[in-house]
Amino acid sequence: MAVRKVLIYPDVHLKEICAPVVNFDESVEQLLQDLVDTMVDAGHSVGIAAPQLGNLRRAAVVDVSKSKLGKKQRNHGLLQMINPEIVEKAGSQIVREGCMSVPDYTGNVTRSESIVVQFLDQKQQLKVIRTEGFEAIAIQHELDHLDGLLFLDRVSSLKTDLFRRKK
Amino acid sequence: MQHFALTIIGRDRPGIVSQVTELLYRDGFNIADSSCSILGGQFSMILLISNPEISTKEQFSNSFKSLEETNLSVYIRTLKPGGEIRPELEGELCMISVYGADKPGIVYQVAKELGDRNINITDLNTKLIGDKLKPVYVMMLEAMLPEGSEIEDVEEWMNELKKKLRVDISVRSLAAMEL
Repeated sequence: MAVRKVLIYPDVHLKEICAPVVNFDESVEQLLQDLVDTMVDAGHSVGIAAPQLGNLRRAAVVDVSKSKLGKKQRNHGLLQMINPEIVEKAGSQIVREGCMSVPDYTGNVTRSESIVVQFLDQKQQLKVIRTEGFEAIAIQHELDHLDGLLFLDRVSSLKTDLFRRKK
Repeated sequence: MQHFALTIIGRDRPGIVSQVTELLYRDGFNIADSSCSILGGQFSMILLISNPEISTKEQFSNSFKSLEETNLSVYIRTLKPGGEIRPELEGELCMISVYGADKPGIVYQVAKELGDRNINITDLNTKLIGDKLKPVYVMMLEAMLPEGSEIEDVEEWMNELKKKLRVDISVRSLAAMEL
């Protein structure tokens, strides 16, 4: 178990484009475990991406099944994703997002309503899943991190919540 | 550091923001929170500003003379200590949309339901849209529901108002997704 420190903007790691994982050694396993541990430790989080821990490899984890909003919807539970890629997207929805790396700010972001994402899981098995709603939003948000994008880069309207988010 | 609230309003045209912020920059002011928008044909700016060298508004109110000369109205409010700090509001953010035929008292009646229950309105804007002969009033309001108030309660109060005012009202949770 290793809970890591979640980096906060302006840490430079958050604006880097991450490199695909090519060597599937122990360090990848360790990274996924750190991501899961840190996400769980940060009680309110439903996902986290490697660069948020300062690791510039394409890996992220998502689990909406424990959150108030996410558990009401169909979801895939804990997803551990290596080299994830969105291969199909449809529809759009506006959602107000917040991010552990950008505290005290939320913004309205336009995301695809449903997506198909493919990735290698923790056992290096290729997975292709179709998902929608909260889980799809969480995946899009985390995958943006792998390209150095924060939700601030995607805010689609100026209505922003200037108040501290509920912990 | 002493903070001031600066309000500027005038007929909208390109260049107002640069004109105002150039002055502030030249005089060494910092802009903290600000909100600027077009209301009808007017452009309005509200800014919280501070300057380490300045502690009273008399020290700088003259700097804005040139703005007044270009038909902008300027108002400066001296904040009490801590007045620049955002309060930590706890609760659930909720969004209320109200729209329908224009009539007096729409904003007041909705705001009263919330105010009477000590519910804080965090954002509000209204617009008159559509036909001049049959204008439609649109109001969008964000409020922070403190513990003990639920979305369902707000819906109930608003349903009553809906009948009374004969307007459409919808209420929904604005919970941000924590990612």
